[in-house]
Amino acid sequence: MTGPSITPDFTALEVPMDTWSEPFWQGTAEHRLTFPRCTTCGTFRWPAGPFCPSCHAQPVDWVPAGEPRIYSFTILPVRSAGDDEPARQRIPVLVEFADAPGVRLVSVLIDAMPEAAAIDARLVPHWLPAANAVVPAFRLASPEISR
Amino acid sequence: MTAKATAAIVGSGSTPYYFRGESAPQTIYELIGKAVHAAAADAGIGLNDIDGLVFFAFGFDTGLLIEQLGLKNVVFAHCVSGFGSGMAGMFDLAAMGVETGRAKNVVCIGATQQVGRRVGQALGNFAATPDNVFHRIAGLGGPGQALALSARRHMHRYGTRREAFAEVVMASRAAAATRETAFRRKPLSLDEYMAAPMLADPLCKFDFCLETDGALAFVVNAVDRAADRPHRPVWIKAVAQVADPAWGRAFFWLNQTDDAFVSAGAEAVAQRLYARAGLGPQDIDVALLYDHFSPLVIMQLEDYGFCPRGEGGAFVESGAIRAGGTIPVNPHGGHLSEAYVVGVTHVREAVEQLRGTAVNQVAGATTALITGGPAPVPMTGAILSSER
Repeated sequence: MTGPSITPDFTALEVPMDTWSEPFWQGTAEHRLTFPRCTTCGTFRWPAGPFCPSCHAQPVDWVPAGEPRIYSFTILPVRSAGDDEPARQRIPVLVEFADAPGVRLVSVLIDAMPEAAAIDARLVPHWLPAANAVVPAFRLASPEISR
Repeated sequence: MTAKATAAIVGSGSTPYYFRGESAPQTIYELIGKAVHAAAADAGIGLNDIDGLVFFAFGFDTGLLIEQLGLKNVVFAHCVSGFGSGMAGMFDLAAMGVETGRAKNVVCIGATQQVGRRVGQALGNFAATPDNVFHRIAGLGGPGQALALSARRHMHRYGTRREAFAEVVMASRAAAATRETAFRRKPLSLDEYMAAPMLADPLCKFDFCLETDGALAFVVNAVDRAADRPHRPVWIKAVAQVADPAWGRAFFWLNQTDDAFVSAGAEAVAQRLYARAGLGPQDIDVALLYDHFSPLVIMQLEDYGFCPRGEGGAFVESGAIRAGGTIPVNPHGGHLSEAYVVGVTHVREAVEQLRGTAVNQVAGATTALITGGPAPVPMTGAILSSER
């Protein structure tokens, strides 16, 4: 038997930020997911950076991401604390968003039975504290879904 | 039209291969020095004849090599960017060096020594940045974990089965059985494969390549000198280097285009390579594909046109990549079963195949494909041939 995927502890994590990525973290601090969209041609760029990869312009608007879904995921074994502890897994997940085409956020799927994880499954964000920021993690919107 | 080659590999040298860390107390520079000595001897030249050095994957300390090896005449020392992705590009740089007369005897070098620092944990070897912090949050510590996301997506989009990944590994083991330099020579059954622990679902431990130490070196000459060397020249028919933004930083990024995400990032390389060579996949006799992770072999078979996009799984399951198959892949056992030295063991095998001296010789092989590893751009590939 395996339990649900782990929820990592990020309380000691110092999230490095720069001018272009900081608005993302300002959003997560308010429990909002936003991504940078080129004001000139409308192309999203991710990770945040100084130039539009499509038209090379600089300015962006930060726009709400929309509904998250699983694009892909993997399941990693996590060393258990002792013989009596059930085997645990960590589930890195690649998340795409309804309103931010082309963007994939690398994150972690928490509190999910590994067999319930599936490509295209709907997600809901879950906010975890880091040393200097709020980290977006995800849960399954419908935990009972299975493949 | 088939273009005439302007340069050839005329010498090949290698250290023994060692399990991760077991090459100590030799330093990586001692390993490289031994490989260079061996390659020069194979080419019938002396160390003082070496006037060019070419590297990839950030290269090596040229000054230290010059000092320790006592190289007195180097006037050309350059590096292809990229990681293992740039490996085959070395032969582009070396060919340019000799065909322009900048240097006469250029030595291409690849080496790795995993003491205290593992290539498989490369994503954790870098300081945290605004970009890579997301991989840390996810827990993606190495290329294999990140590429598991691509493998799963390939399965989802095309119906690729774990049996196909297993066949890549089993074919590799079957090839390695007769290769004395290989570490994993025992045959692998499908049951053993399926029973193995998952390291990064859907990748089990057998889908990950070996972690080994070693150094290899290759001497490149222009056409005017190549015929005077002791061995038959292995002609550098064509090389392609492409920095395709659809692939970008690959598994360090994970925002490739939807089509590139389920590829090995080499489609644009293949197109350029075949155009430069005037050849196509049907002209390749043996494919030395960079096999750090088994699903990436399937994706490279698709990228290089050996089968249609999405059909790589069924293609390998048909037995196509085994000896006697449509396109024999890695008859030396590759990174999965022989040893891992960032792609250059595949060059050694290509040289042996085209000289006709390989342990698992592909009968009548005249043309070999070598690929750089699916990793950040530039991605590179090369076609070598026994015929100019």
